[in-house]
Amino acid sequence: MRHFQLPKFISGLDYFILILALLLTAFGIASIYSAGIDSEGVRFSNEYSKQIIWAVSGLGIMIAAMALDISRLKDYTVFAYMAILLLLLYTRFAGRVVNGARSWIGVGEYGIQPAEFAKIITILFLARYLDLSDQSSSFKRLIASLGITGIPVLLILSQPDFGSALVFFPILIVMLYVGGIDRRYILFILLSIGFTFIFLMLPLAGRYFFPGGNILDLFFQRPGYVVMLSGLFLIALALSLWGWLVFKKQYYFWLSYGLSVLDLSIVLALAGHKVLKDYQIMRLMVFLNPNVDPQGAGWNIIQSVTAIGSGGLAGKGFLQGTQSHARFIPQQSTDFIFSIIAEEWGFLGGLLLVALFCFLLYRMLGLVSSTKDRYSMLVCGGFFGMFAFHFMINVGMAIGIMPITGIPLYFISYGGSSLWAAFMAIGFLLGISSRRYRM
Amino acid sequence: MGFSGDDKTRIVVLKALVLLLGLLYGIRLFSLQIIRGTEFEAKANRYAIQSVKIPAARGEIYDRTNTIPFVTNDEAFSVEIVPAELPASKREQVFERLAEILNLKLTEIRRKIPASYYHLYQRIAISSSASYLAITKIAEHKEDFPGVYWNSRPIRRYLDIGSLSHVLGYVGEIGRDEYKLLYNKGYSSDDVIGKTGIEKFYDGTLKGQDGFLRKTVDVKGKGLAGEAERLEAPIPGKKLVLTIDAAIQKTAEKALGNRMGSVIVLKPNTGEILAMVSYPWYDPSIFSSSNSGEEYLKLLNDPNKPLLNRAIQSSYPPASTFKTVLSTAILEEKAISPNTTITCRGFMEYGGRTWNCWVHSPGHGPVNLQQALAHSCDIYYWTVGRDNLGVEKIISYAGDYGYGKPTGIDIPGENAGFIPTPRWKEESYRERWNPGDTMNISIGQGYLLATPIQVANMMAMVVNDGVVYRPHVVKEIRDGETGALIQSSRPEILTDSSISASTFKTLREDLRSVISYGSARVPVSTKAVLVAGKTGTAEIGLKDRWHSWFAAFGPYDAKPEEQVVVVTMVEASNPWEWWAPYASNLIFQSIFAGQDAEAAAKTLGLSLEGQHLRGRAE
Repeated sequence: MRHFQLPKFISGLDYFILILALLLTAFGIASIYSAGIDSEGVRFSNEYSKQIIWAVSGLGIMIAAMALDISRLKDYTVFAYMAILLLLLYTRFAGRVVNGARSWIGVGEYGIQPAEFAKIITILFLARYLDLSDQSSSFKRLIASLGITGIPVLLILSQPDFGSALVFFPILIVMLYVGGIDRRYILFILLSIGFTFIFLMLPLAGRYFFPGGNILDLFFQRPGYVVMLSGLFLIALALSLWGWLVFKKQYYFWLSYGLSVLDLSIVLALAGHKVLKDYQIMRLMVFLNPNVDPQGAGWNIIQSVTAIGSGGLAGKGFLQGTQSHARFIPQQSTDFIFSIIAEEWGFLGGLLLVALFCFLLYRMLGLVSSTKDRYSMLVCGGFFGMFAFHFMINVGMAIGIMPITGIPLYFISYGGSSLWAAFMAIGFLLGISSRRYRM
Repeated sequence: MGFSGDDKTRIVVLKALVLLLGLLYGIRLFSLQIIRGTEFEAKANRYAIQSVKIPAARGEIYDRTNTIPFVTNDEAFSVEIVPAELPASKREQVFERLAEILNLKLTEIRRKIPASYYHLYQRIAISSSASYLAITKIAEHKEDFPGVYWNSRPIRRYLDIGSLSHVLGYVGEIGRDEYKLLYNKGYSSDDVIGKTGIEKFYDGTLKGQDGFLRKTVDVKGKGLAGEAERLEAPIPGKKLVLTIDAAIQKTAEKALGNRMGSVIVLKPNTGEILAMVSYPWYDPSIFSSSNSGEEYLKLLNDPNKPLLNRAIQSSYPPASTFKTVLSTAILEEKAISPNTTITCRGFMEYGGRTWNCWVHSPGHGPVNLQQALAHSCDIYYWTVGRDNLGVEKIISYAGDYGYGKPTGIDIPGENAGFIPTPRWKEESYRERWNPGDTMNISIGQGYLLATPIQVANMMAMVVNDGVVYRPHVVKEIRDGETGALIQSSRPEILTDSSISASTFKTLREDLRSVISYGSARVPVSTKAVLVAGKTGTAEIGLKDRWHSWFAAFGPYDAKPEEQVVVVTMVEASNPWEWWAPYASNLIFQSIFAGQDAEAAAKTLGLSLEGQHLRGRAE
């Protein structure tokens, strides 16, 4: 029986993580305050004060999460997982519609997005599974992990909240990677996702980026060609699988591997075309050249990049942004919060924010390698994947090098659910950090 | 627990990826903000393309000669506010002055621009019918009205159209549900759209295509010097030439006077509507006025239902006019010889009750088919309808004449009327159809319902030997600017019946006898034209008042292309004066003697104010 010793607990905390999280949150509140001011200097939104309330209550959640010794509670994660699935199901049918997705539950003005907490619980549960299944085959672990992540992903996709669903994949990949799954599988997933995106974008790319009849159009505007092409791939796959089984040559393995990636990607892209509307796919790819649709999908990117670029070295000063305050940037306090920061604080401010985030992510990786057990290591890896992906996509979107998916920047973007989820994750990480040297 | 070297490698790879990401984003920021910083700064200072909509003028509407305008457009302006450009210190003052100039309520402006909009850079319309004078007042002191803009927005002007309101309809701002339906058809959320009448039916033709004025503005929304404005000119809507004859419309309007009911004047050989009156009518220009909401509610709640086009949207028992259908069936089916007489003693006994002819004892005496129609003898039709024809044949001939289905006139909201069937009665009343029901339908009573336009089509079919053309009110579609003819409506066959021409010939003679010696001999006194037709007096359960019908055509002896059909329907809600045949008489006199309503009335010795009558007449 271990004794809990408060002073020792406190001294063991990773203070870098704690301080970085608090710094970023403060940075966020200031930016939300600025986003709520119009060009006349009049405040029209009190989101910043709500964000302060979320932050203070979030600290409470963080301390509670810190106090939980999650590696001792890991057997119970399955119940949390079940509960969050039920909650997602409930949200799907009885939730409130915000921005076209039935993704909220709550009363009156206050509500939460269960998808945010689903990420955390899925990380905890998947870590538990990967920890237990250490001796199983890589393939079996891969399939089971896909299932564990897939169920919440499908529920969230059906809301439909594409951005939130997307985050589960980097989480899965990082955890599989940290969990020691055969790298060929991880490469397989990465390649499949990559090719799925390519196939998803090709038909629209043909229409918007290379207008006027070309080979891309020929294939993707006519379902017949797609069926024929995938049929050919399938036959080739069957042949090479047969070759691999009969001749046991590496050559045939890699051929089957590549063809499977292509086949799977085509199927997923076709499914994607069924589920996603053209304008949604357009949002994913318009960053490649926002000028093909400057009034539509490209608008946000052009405005955001202009705002950031016009910030220069030292920025226009706090509350002095012209682009952000003069209506041009949509979703200023959430999706495009980074543009207001980079406009008002300039290159120095933008770089500082990027540096703070990278340092936080770096510390998390440090924690991954110094945890006392495999379970904690996997949990840290999952949280790292979550924070890293949000940072990469959100900031990348604002600076015009990533698709628009509408996912928030943790700590900075306005929103109670994402802030609480971030603090909860930080709480778990801090708890792990403090307990790592005790055996 | 220790970690293998493999684990360490994985962490190192991830750490390297994080550093790479940070480096990449740092470089991107450096490129955007330092290298291209000035370029973006310049861009930021002259950003945004503002586009101002220039509404297309809606098509005008003219009479059948293309000389008398019914609907044109007035110059008017919409006044819009960009709330964010209006400084807080001046806001109240500007609102108050605008309310005064535009004759709006201050609360109305505040409702349209609530505090939550104060930071918006969108234009919000506060008035869509400001006069030129009001705009000059604002323009003269533009500096006192920061963030206030105006836009030409022609409003619909209904000239002296009187009773044409139901035909023309009116326009209004597009409703949320309409917008959803028309979203993909080039409509936008601030469009004006036809709500009823041909304004609605021909909305796509009348609407035109809005133009745009695009200019580049700076962050504050100011236009930039040296930046040319780009104009996409609006394309005006197309002009409609109606089939309506302004003179006949006026006569029909005066002939009906202020009696609830309707008049239709139709050219049977084309289906052109020469006049269509429904009383009470309304003034469509109130819908373009600033307090259109109140006025609309007033019309909506009026117990006389002025918004209803009684000529096509109300259905009534066709009463004795329906005997035309019975006579057709009797002749065509040879159900009974036209010469066979049936003796009317003023009443008959059937099914345990007494059925009274409208002429009480001693009745019409022995009548053959022609005499029965001329005097509108109920006993004859009850007997023949029940014993010689039967319900199925009556229903079948009613269907041939177009009863029970819409005529397809180019005015929306038409009522289909109703033909009862034995099966319908069984399903809705759980009662068998009995011979008494057949007797009721034989004289156009019971469950049977018809619209005046259907009754007019019945007469058209008699005139045309079985052909009915789709009734319509639009004759030509013309270019909105040049007036060049784009499309003219051709007669479109609605029904081509297989009933023999000889039946219709006999029928016309019989209908003529109604005027030459029958029930309408006294009221239809015009010498200007030979009229044939049928009266109808519908019982609706009131003791001393009836719906009064008169459906007629003339000149009786002329070719179909020279004939007109006139149907007058006066509701029982008016004091009883058996007005329908008198009104029709006046209309025929006016058309064929070339007189206006007053002169025609004088010739006929008829008072337009009406007459007092006691007791029922057919």
